[in-house]
Amino acid sequence: MSDPYLQVAGISKAFGGVQALVDVSLDVRAGEVHALCGENGAGKSTLIKILGGSCLPDHGHVRVGGQALPPGSVLASEAAGIAVIHQEAVAFPDLNAVDNIFVGRELRRAGGLWLDRRRMRLEAAALLARLGEEFDLRTPAGDLPLARRQMVAIARALLQDCRLLILDEPTSSLSSRETQALFRIIRQLKDKGVSTIYVSHRLEEVFELADRVTVLRDGRKVATRSVGEISRAELIRLMVGRDVGGIAARPKSPPEGRPIMLEIQGLTRAGVFEKVSFSVHAGEVVGMAGLVGAGRSDVAQAIFGVDRWDEGRVLVAGKALSPGDIRAALRAGVALVPEDRQQLGLVLPMSVSVNLTLAILQSLCRLGFPSARREQTLASRLVAELGVRTASLRAPAWALSGGNQQKLLLGKWLALSPKVLLLDEPTRGVDVRAKEEVHQLIRQLADQGMATLLISSDLPELLALSDRIIVMRAGRIVGELAGSEATQEKVMSLAIPAEDDPATGARVGGSAT
Amino acid sequence: MISQEAARTGGTDRPFKAALTRLAQRREYGVGFLLAATLIAVSWKNPAFASAANLSDLLVQCAPAVIVGCGLTFVIVTGEIDISVGSLLGLLAAVMGLACSPQRANWPVVPTVLATLLAGTASGFLTGALVTFGRAPSIIITLGMLTALRGLTELLMGGEWITDLPAGLRTLGTGSLLGIPISVLVAAVVVVGSALLAGRTALGLQIYAVGSNPEAARLAGLSIRRLRLFAFTLTGLLTAVAALVSVPQLSVIESGVGKGFELLVVTCVVVGGTSIRGGSGGILGTVLAVLLLGIVRTVLVFLKLGEMATYWERAIQGGFVLAAVLADHLARRSSAARAAGGQT
Amino acid sequence: MTTLGRLRTFSYWYEVGLLGLFVALMVVISQVEPAFASRQVQAELSTHVFELAILALPMTFIMITGGIDLSVGSTMALSAVVLGLIFERGAPPSVAALLAVLAGAMAGALNGVFVAHVHVHPLIVTLATLSAYRGIAEGVSLGRPISGFPEQFTSLGTGTVAGVPLPGIIFALAALGSGVMLMWSAFGRRLYAIGFNENACRFSGISVDRIKLMLYTLSGTAAGLAAVIFAARRNTAKADVGLDMELNVITAVVLGGTSVFGGRGTLVGTLLGVALIHETSEFVSWRWHSDESILLAIGVLLVVSVLLNGLLLKRRQ
Repeated sequence: MSDPYLQVAGISKAFGGVQALVDVSLDVRAGEVHALCGENGAGKSTLIKILGGSCLPDHGHVRVGGQALPPGSVLASEAAGIAVIHQEAVAFPDLNAVDNIFVGRELRRAGGLWLDRRRMRLEAAALLARLGEEFDLRTPAGDLPLARRQMVAIARALLQDCRLLILDEPTSSLSSRETQALFRIIRQLKDKGVSTIYVSHRLEEVFELADRVTVLRDGRKVATRSVGEISRAELIRLMVGRDVGGIAARPKSPPEGRPIMLEIQGLTRAGVFEKVSFSVHAGEVVGMAGLVGAGRSDVAQAIFGVDRWDEGRVLVAGKALSPGDIRAALRAGVALVPEDRQQLGLVLPMSVSVNLTLAILQSLCRLGFPSARREQTLASRLVAELGVRTASLRAPAWALSGGNQQKLLLGKWLALSPKVLLLDEPTRGVDVRAKEEVHQLIRQLADQGMATLLISSDLPELLALSDRIIVMRAGRIVGELAGSEATQEKVMSLAIPAEDDPATGARVGGSAT
Repeated sequence: MISQEAARTGGTDRPFKAALTRLAQRREYGVGFLLAATLIAVSWKNPAFASAANLSDLLVQCAPAVIVGCGLTFVIVTGEIDISVGSLLGLLAAVMGLACSPQRANWPVVPTVLATLLAGTASGFLTGALVTFGRAPSIIITLGMLTALRGLTELLMGGEWITDLPAGLRTLGTGSLLGIPISVLVAAVVVVGSALLAGRTALGLQIYAVGSNPEAARLAGLSIRRLRLFAFTLTGLLTAVAALVSVPQLSVIESGVGKGFELLVVTCVVVGGTSIRGGSGGILGTVLAVLLLGIVRTVLVFLKLGEMATYWERAIQGGFVLAAVLADHLARRSSAARAAGGQT
Repeated sequence: MTTLGRLRTFSYWYEVGLLGLFVALMVVISQVEPAFASRQVQAELSTHVFELAILALPMTFIMITGGIDLSVGSTMALSAVVLGLIFERGAPPSVAALLAVLAGAMAGALNGVFVAHVHVHPLIVTLATLSAYRGIAEGVSLGRPISGFPEQFTSLGTGTVAGVPLPGIIFALAALGSGVMLMWSAFGRRLYAIGFNENACRFSGISVDRIKLMLYTLSGTAAGLAAVIFAARRNTAKADVGLDMELNVITAVVLGGTSVFGGRGTLVGTLLGVALIHETSEFVSWRWHSDESILLAIGVLLVVSVLLNGLLLKRRQ
């Protein structure tokens, strides 16, 4: 067997105290389709960023085609023949598909000055046709649905004449027809000796397409196996690393007798989610499962008032909420801990204590001036209760680790004593210890009567903490499972579209979760 | 209901309707329509307006704004802004006057022209360098340049006027070739050249890419700095060209030349459909907007408002921009609703 | 914390440096032109600065939130014209002044509506109103100056209380209030937060749009007030009032350490910036009798200070 095309040796990377990757080594042969599996936070995205050159590893090195890959340079990775297709296709929204594909590699006419738009259009059309796509190439990319944009990104990678194609959850927004077209391409590339690293949660795809699979868990490589030598159950077990139930399961309590704190009736937002109805009782944790793009974050953000809804009602403790009004939602006692804590949650340059009191500033004030004493008392109490590890209350938020930032964000909302807590991926990018602490907090809050909606892609977490699990797919609720009878398989089977299901496939739209 | 078909094809199962909608959303057509409507309305009310002489005058008046507008369009497409072009024009006017006036340096025409072009390009390059390498917001840098250049102009002129430009230079501003005024010819060449640059060259494509998504542009290996620097330098050069064909028309060169010019040009670029966020818009819109605003000014004069015309002109310019952004906002809101409803 | 530790976490070195610069400047000037640095001259000259100073206050707030207001000079002109025309129609000067300030407030509010509710970039909005307001002022007044204000009105501009010019007292109160508000109040904290991360603020229930509207309205009101003070001081109301004022104000605020990107800025810094600009331009005018050099100097000053700001910001991050 010839030398592997890609050799990853001893890669480690830490982000502010959290070890994202620890001594990871793997290799990919020429013409191989190599799957990368692992739970959220296992380190897959970090590894991909390192290979793609947008992230610098702390230790270790990478060799491509026998040559060392200069780390941390996108151009170097591209020059080495590596092409990365990210989950959220990065494109130029104002340029059309043809231009998106050719920016930086434009085709010119004989003179060298003028663009050969005709040839570019033909080649772009041909590339997209290979992917099974045919649409008006003059449409600006920003107006294209995410699936199309992803195809454009893939077409751009194909143009690059890459030797190693890395795909990060490529099919999460593709229909089955588009997925098959993609697989055809990957196989064609395979015949030409191009290798593919394929990251996916969809295990059937892994088994259909890949030659070998590497499993990452908690930043370490757990195993590399030939796809033929491993079963689905075994793969899951390697990914999860423990039997489900390793997270101390919460006793599932039926909600009778307790008041309904949050009630959603027929909530619809055109093109994003449709006829969503469910309720959450006080002291209950309702988990929300679903794939990327299913619309879970959108529902949560709509409830909180970030976006408006078109039809339906939201009732908090029996009172209706008006759409698109964050302050009204806050007054009613709803709090949202958003998924993107850096962009939407914390003001990083400001101190821990300022961040904690940002939403509750009014109540600390006398005549418009916050009382330093009251702020100090509140902040220290929250920090102690949540176990936020920080040098001082005055330390800036960016100095905290991911896990502590997450706790900080939670603390900000708990300061308001909300009745309904909407959590969107609360343990994403959080280390194991902080994760357990956050789980503990969620349990405690529920025991004290908090109505919680827990959106999570971490199935064991969801199963362990939830009294009930709602599954969303393509903008609709497709099932509800009682906590006691839910299993990972049942949840996944509801969340993943079946092969020839006509009601699914086309993504309704929405955000990343 | 969200149809599978529409979802997959992105709503192009009705291609004609989609194309029509796209057309209606493009500002150029709105401005062009408004331009044509105004022209027709005024000519009907006052037939003398549509005379060849009058229209020719209009074009001559609009020429400098068109020329600089092309450069400024590129700057704004890359996501930056340059409000110093008016002061630069004033400075270049002073340079021209001081260089070739018989009472001053008394240079022949050609060196004067070269000196002007060089000065304009250098100023544009300096501005661009300060913005790209200094990593400072272009609004502030060009605000500073606007003042500094104006101050420099006043220092150079020393409060005096220059009135004796040699005939050779004057023909640049007042002469004609084949019956068409030189300034209009030059403007036409600049417009065609800019349109080709924008739409048919790799450089043009990359400029739009940088404005559309700077991060993605970086990942694609484009040099954001060089592209922006190019846009600023080009603007400086074009300002010099505009100066060469417009200043000689003036009977007097004094330090106030060009005051307010930058506002006019930025207004035209924005009204013409180029988004301040960068990445979209183009030369055609700018040119149409210049003509539209030029007509408005001429209309005011024609309506015998006299002095009032100049006063209200500024108000109207400002009003146009506000109307343009309002229209944008409304269009975006309705298209978002439409997209959500029928697209995916 | 050790003394060294405290020194290192002290975040106001820029303002200290600025103070040092100002002191150095005054020392140099008093050596070169002792007459300029005399008490009487300084007192006399200080009456010129209050319009600039009053405008710099709301500009600081606006820039801390990441916005900008280019229309302050034109709003001044608009207010001046309102003042003049209403006074000419026979209204008592106090009424005219009130309406002038109100006009400024409405002009500012229009800016605010476009920025906060139509969500247009403040650069474009205020660039447009820069043209529009000045144009309206010129159009309505036909460029005519209006003077002849009565004694009791002009005393507002020239009068003193215990030797301190009246506008100075108004400004001092406003500055004090602003400083206290910015540094210690909840509102001030929200301004900084908005400048750092507007989205996080929205998600925290802070009414970002309402605050922005308020700030631009405040800026317009200040412009109206400045126009009234100017008219009182010079006994004239004309449409060319406040020309280049926005440049001076922005330069003073940026020089004072406020970052154009938002999140950073202090009132003390702005005051020092105003003082530096004032002394520099008055000195240049005194020594060389040349207004043009002032322009050049201020333009260069703005460019230099924003580059400096950029450097400092990089280090801080």
